[in-house]
Amino acid sequence: MSVLISSIGFGLISAAILAIASVGFTMQFGITSILNLAYADVMTAAAFVAYSLNKAGLDIWVCAGAGALFGAVFSMLLNRFVYAQFARRGTSAVGLVIVSIGIGLIIQYVVVIIWSPNFVSYRLSQGSTVQLGSLVFTTLQLTVIGISVVTMIAVHLVLAYTKLGRAMRATAVNASLARDCGIATNRIVDLAWLISGAMCGLAGVIFAMSIISFTPSSEQGFLVVVIAAAVVGGIGKPYGAMLGALVLGLATELAALVINPAYKDVVAFLLLAIVLLIRPRGILSGLATREEVVA
Amino acid sequence: MNSWQYYASTLLVFWGVNTIAVWALNLQFGVAGIVNFAFIVFQSVGAYTAAVLTLGPASSSGYEHYVGGMNLPFPLPIIAGALAAALVSIPVGLLGLRRLRSDYQAMIMLIVSLIATDLASSQADLVNGAAGLFNIPQPLSDQLNLSQLDYQWFYVVLVAIVAAGVYLLVRWITSSPHGRVLRAIRDNPETATAIGKNVTANRMVVFVLGGAIAGLSGALLASYISAWAPGSWLYPETFVYLAAVIVGGRGNNLGVLIGALVVPGFGEVTRFFPQLVDPQTAAAMEWIGIGVFMVVFLWFWPRGIVPERRHRFAKPTQPDVGQPASTAARV
Repeated sequence: MSVLISSIGFGLISAAILAIASVGFTMQFGITSILNLAYADVMTAAAFVAYSLNKAGLDIWVCAGAGALFGAVFSMLLNRFVYAQFARRGTSAVGLVIVSIGIGLIIQYVVVIIWSPNFVSYRLSQGSTVQLGSLVFTTLQLTVIGISVVTMIAVHLVLAYTKLGRAMRATAVNASLARDCGIATNRIVDLAWLISGAMCGLAGVIFAMSIISFTPSSEQGFLVVVIAAAVVGGIGKPYGAMLGALVLGLATELAALVINPAYKDVVAFLLLAIVLLIRPRGILSGLATREEVVA
Repeated sequence: MNSWQYYASTLLVFWGVNTIAVWALNLQFGVAGIVNFAFIVFQSVGAYTAAVLTLGPASSSGYEHYVGGMNLPFPLPIIAGALAAALVSIPVGLLGLRRLRSDYQAMIMLIVSLIATDLASSQADLVNGAAGLFNIPQPLSDQLNLSQLDYQWFYVVLVAIVAAGVYLLVRWITSSPHGRVLRAIRDNPETATAIGKNVTANRMVVFVLGGAIAGLSGALLASYISAWAPGSWLYPETFVYLAAVIVGGRGNNLGVLIGALVVPGFGEVTRFFPQLVDPQTAAAMEWIGIGVFMVVFLWFWPRGIVPERRHRFAKPTQPDVGQPASTAARV
């Protein structure tokens, strides 16, 4: 029983990291229809920017903030000066995926040249352990979960209650109609990439912390789970990505316990395949439509 | 001189194998518009099948564990590789090509690719897990008794013959009425449905056929390099082939032949640049070069080096007997 509970604990931590990353990823797809496969490489770059600052003696959470800032600005510029330009020329969706892979290669190997391809680690303390019922967390893990919850609430508040959020949802559903209604869609798209890029950078730093030592290619494998979480809930839908992250985070850790740790990703993907067979557009497909009608 | 021959023949084999694969992907993506992000899986199924059928039985104490071990003679493992890939294409196609939006199809294919790599790496007994298969005997190498260099050229000829056969097949399909239906489906699936064409069934045919050709290319590749492991077919490899199709000219069989030379060949070219920096940085520069090339190319030549020909149909010159010419013209 206690093994089961500790698996749930691990699942919650993976879900927390996954949620930040996949909500950012899904927002980029939702608002600009770009499947940004360079996402993992921006995460990596942010993790290494944070690493340099951490090495210079800054506190890890200040570095995480800097990583988020880097991710935000970099992603916004990447969209404005690369993806948006290609999209304007009428490059197909698949063409844009190829472009994003090219960009990803460039970022990843520039990171290799600047920081070396070797393993590095942050200097941080795990903190004391905290007992919550039968779950045992370190304060570091609790902080990660806390940051994730705060980020998710912030995303929800922005999307549901602000003018910006309404404009973003309008742009996601129909950009040209939104423009005709007087929404400055270019500015909205920039802001959306700033917000999603910040989540990308933050997730990059936190993921690097969670695997203790990392290289410029460590976050590649994580992208796979990020995409899976985004697709389970219905790609392009932030609430879907949150739900997907929770489902996948718990399912992978429980599968590791019940079946075999080697199969934890396989179980995650099989789950995804089943979800897509039953609800081809993700768990939240029906709900989201209703929501769009209300908004 | 020998080392140059060796190098040239190796490049020719890779070009040939890549061309076969790219023709298969062009059939699926270029002609039929299927965004098959799992393409590399089918190549890999062919490679593994050919490998386990060529290899002898796995010894229980050895480092290699795998199913099969049939010791079959030369053409059989390669043919079986193609058939196995076609068989695997059927369930994947049934899962992925149902009426989903093309971005969802792409996602499902990507996920199939990830599941497949994970399964092959974690199942230690199926195809030797993450370590992969090695020491695969090269086809006919012990019967022919050729020197290493002569064997290289023998393999170039073998790949060239297979490639010629595959070219005739894909050209026959793309220029047939079926090819016309596929292009119609690619350009406008709704209209194709409206005139009574079954979108899913037509796509399924090229999905399975393309899978078989991909398997063939994988079987030839694994038999040549004598090894195959999950590291050889990670999902980005599919995008290298997709880049080759786009660079060459989507939908044009001769264009993608050039794409198969240019895209993987770009890494070879950077190898000859003067060594100004340490090898590690040089390797990183090579990848950056490939990334820059992909982005710059798509910017300047979005339709590829040799764009798809516009298909024109000759107007009927002879009006049907007994009908006024104006009616025929309207038809």
